[in-house]
Parts: sequence; C-alpha cells; structure tokens
Amino acid sequence: MSHPKMSNSAEAVAVSSGPSRGGRSAAWTVTIVLGILILIPSMLGFVMKFRELMAITEGGTEGGFAITPVINYLLASSGFFLLLVWAALNGMFRDLERPKYLMLENEQELDRND
Amino acid sequence: MSAASISTGAHAEAHTHHDLVDEKIVRWYFITALIFLGTSMVAGILMAMQLIRHNPLNGIEIFSAGRWRMIHTNAVAYGFLANGFLGCLHWSIPRLTLQPVFNKHLSWLIYGAWQFVVGATAVGILFGEAQALEWGETPVWIDPVAQLGLLLVAINFMTPIARMKGPMYVTLWYFMAAFVWTFLTYAMGNFMPQYYVGGTSAGAVGGLFIHDLVGLFVTPLGWGLMYYFVPIILKKPIWSHGLSLVGFWGLAFFYPLQGIHHFLYTPIPMFLQYGAVVSTIAVELVVTTVVINFFGTLWGNAGVVKTNIPIRFFYTGMIYYFLTCLQCSFQVTLTFQKIIHFSDWVVGHAHMVMFGVFSMWIMGMMIHLFPRMLNRPWASQNLLEWHYWLSTIGVGFMAGDLILLGVFQGWSWAALEPWDASVDFSYPFWVLRVIAGLAMFGGLLAFAQNIRLTMQAAAKEKAVRA
Repeated sequence: MSHPKMSNSAEAVAVSSGPSRGGRSAAWTVTIVLGILILIPSMLGFVMKFRELMAITEGGTEGGFAITPVINYLLASSGFFLLLVWAALNGMFRDLERPKYLMLENEQELDRND
Repeated sequence: MSAASISTGAHAEAHTHHDLVDEKIVRWYFITALIFLGTSMVAGILMAMQLIRHNPLNGIEIFSAGRWRMIHTNAVAYGFLANGFLGCLHWSIPRLTLQPVFNKHLSWLIYGAWQFVVGATAVGILFGEAQALEWGETPVWIDPVAQLGLLLVAINFMTPIARMKGPMYVTLWYFMAAFVWTFLTYAMGNFMPQYYVGGTSAGAVGGLFIHDLVGLFVTPLGWGLMYYFVPIILKKPIWSHGLSLVGFWGLAFFYPLQGIHHFLYTPIPMFLQYGAVVSTIAVELVVTTVVINFFGTLWGNAGVVKTNIPIRFFYTGMIYYFLTCLQCSFQVTLTFQKIIHFSDWVVGHAHMVMFGVFSMWIMGMMIHLFPRMLNRPWASQNLLEWHYWLSTIGVGFMAGDLILLGVFQGWSWAALEPWDASVDFSYPFWVLRVIAGLAMFGGLLAFAQNIRLTMQAAAKEKAVRA
C-alpha cells in the first residue's frame, strides 16, 4: 500500500473479482438478521419514548418547551439522513476506498506541476 | 474505477498549486490567528492570576476578571480556531477539489469582516455588552454580521466542493457538514434564546449551542484537516476510508443531541437528559473508530513521530482527543455529575480539548505549511522542539491539575464543608495552573520567534536574489 497507483490496480482487481455468489448471499442473510434483531427493539423503544414525548408536550404550554431541542435534533438529523440517502443513490459508497488513493495522486500531481 | 472518478483524477494534470491556492491569505489568517491566541492566553493568565489573588489589573473595571474570562474563551474560539481553520481551508479545499474558491475577493472580504466581528466582540465584552450565552457572548448587534459571514464562508467553500465530480474524500464530507452545522448552530444559539424561547428551554438550547460549537464546528473541521494532512505528510493513504466514513456519519447522527449533558439534574425532562448521556457515550465508540483508523495509518511508520514535528503535534492531539472523549463518556453520567459539576474538573477538560487537541492540530498544520509558503525550512529546529514540549507538558499539567482539583472540590462540597475551605485547598492547584499556563505561553512565544526568524531569512534571501 506504499505506492498509491500500485495499490489502486491491486484493489481494482480485487473489486472486479469480488466475493463469490454464496459469500454474497451469506453476507446479505447476516445483514438482514442483524438488521431485524437491532431494528425491532430500537423501533419499539423509539415509539414508546415518542409517546412519552407527546404526552409531555400535550401537558399544557409549560410542557411544550421540551420539544424545542428534539425538533432541533430531528431537523438536523433528517437533513443528514436525506444527504446519506442522496449519497448512496449517487454511488458515493460504491467504491469506498478509491477516494483516498485519488486524493494522494492529485497531491503528488500538484506538487510535480509546481 | 468509475467514469466520474477517472475524470476527477485526470484534472490534477491541468492545475498548478498557484492557480488554486492563494498563499497570501493563508499566511494572513495564520498570523492573525496567532495574535488572537496570544491575546487569549494573556487573558487566561490574568484570570488565573486573579484566582491566586495577584491580578496586576485589580480595580480597573473594564479589565475585571469576569470580562477577561469571556475575552479568553471568545478569542480562542472565534479568533484563533476560526482564523486558523480558515487559513487551512484556503489551502486544502482547492487542492482537494482541484477548484479555486468561489471568489478570491470574497475571501478577503470575509477575512476583513471576520476580524471586525472578533474585534467588535472583544470591545463589546469589555464595555459590558456581552450576550447572556456561554461561549456566545458576541454582542447581539454583532450576531447578524457574524451570521452573514458564516453564510459567505459556506458559499465560498461549498462552490468548489459542489463543482467537483465523483465520490468525495472523507475530508470534504466533514467540511461540507461543518459549513452547514456552524451556520445552523450559530443561529440556534445566538437568536433562539435571545428572541424566541426563554427559561429552561433557553437553557437547553444554550447547552446544545456550547457543545455543538465544539462538535459541529471545531470537530469536523479539525478531523477533516487531519484526514487531509496526515496522509500527505506520511505519503500513504488513510488506513480505511470506509471506517473514516463510519466516523463521519456517526458524528452526524449522535453528536447533535449531546449538548444537554451540560444541564443534568435540571428541570429539563429526564428523557432529554438520558438521550444526551446515551448519545455522548455512543460518540466515544465513534471516536474510537477514528483513532484506530489514524493509528492504523501510522502503523509501520511510528518513527516519523520522532522526526516529523507536525505529525508529532497531530498524534499528540489525537491522544488528548481520545482521553478527552473517554473522560467525557464517564463525566456525563449522573453519578459523576454529582461530584464534578461546577468544579474545576470541567475547566481542565475544556483545556485538554481546546488546547491539547485543536490548538495542537492547528499549530502542527502551521508548522507544516509555513516552510512551504516561505520556500525555506524553519530557522530553528530547537525552537520548534521548545514549542512542542512546552505546549504538550503545559497542557498536560494544567488538565491533570484541574481535573484532580475538581474531584477534591466536588467531594468537599458534597460533604457540605464551608465554601472557603474549598477555596483554601484550591490555592496550590491554581498556582500550578499559572505555571502550566506560562509554559504554554512560552511555547507560543518560541513559535512566534521562529516564524519571525524564518520570515526574516526568507525576505533576506528574496532581496539577495532580486
């Protein structure tokens, strides 16, 4: 990994061959199982807490203040969630390691041009 | 390799550094940043002298310790860190995107406007115009100018990022987020409690502001720059770009709710307090992935830390960062808060992160960039060593001293001992703090002298060549 260009070609070969079909389906199965195991309890917890929050906010004008930081957080996070979806749809995570080599190549190129 | 990434790679051949980077503005930002750091440190030392009852300006109202304390915190955040980061951004973004900033004249306008904001804030604070918001004491009449300045910064730097094609390097993810977050954080903290919400709700927003200023302004810029400078100095890519993105998205989703941990045991609903505690502990896991990534990158080249001073500054900062975050994941628990709240523990923690991490990183970047911009090596290697050791040992002593003192103070208060008793036993710790602060200031003076000597030598060389 000392020379970026060499590493790039090595990585390109690795990427083009990729894991076997069986390996891919096993990876998908593990991802889905883990996803269900993590997501279901998390969602249940979230719904319960959200109901608590609603109960507080409905408790008169004094209770309404609790929602300010939550709305701040949800606004910020929903923006980043949309950015994450946009990035995934635009292939930003397709070749995860490529940008680190490109960055170094460009740096070296700029230094050479100077 | 995707078509988009091929096109990005090919662009470098058509560019030169001087087409992309305005070195003059980088130099100006750095020098200005160091002047503000000096001001902030003098203010900090004056405040520390007040605590040991040796304030040389005692009795002069505009130089009273409470005002100097605000000068100290504001000068370091908006004067030193912001200027230091802006200088580094003017170097790194054009080189990473292979696009110049949106407008070079706008860059100079922002430079001037930002110095006006920081200068006016200092004057406002000294004359009693401070806004009632911790770390956001910028007078209310400055806030719209600062907000506009942040918008212009975002436009100037987001344009080259938007023009870039292909998958982005992690540094640019951090930068992009920082421009949006800083703008929103500043607006939330400076306008919401002032005009829209009051009471406990304003307290909660103030807590979010203080911590988001660290986590959503300073942290993404700091780490983004580390992801840029460490690989180019080591001449090897970051260990795992995928892991670096885990760090970025983890920060994006876990950090924004943390700030309320500043207000545990208050009337803020407990679910918000617990949310802040859990997200703070979650961030420690994210931080661990980031630190592993950087130490994985260093693996096999550890000797560089001895020979390359910028790398030494960077990795020292990373160790301090890991310690700070580890400490944070404990101190935000309700059990710890019972003891350490309002004590000097918090002050020690703040110095460890602001000086031990981000100031060390900015100084490391300056040490790397000044010789490149001046086209000659540092005038004195010894002064660089003095700078590093005085800064590292100074901040280590200061943080350790205050953290330990915080525990003693907390136990004393919990035991319902008289307040005076805690002041009396704090005295030797506060003396040690002055000594540590003077050591850190000595490090800065060594750095300033080295810059002066190097610039003089560069000017002499230029004159001889002419």
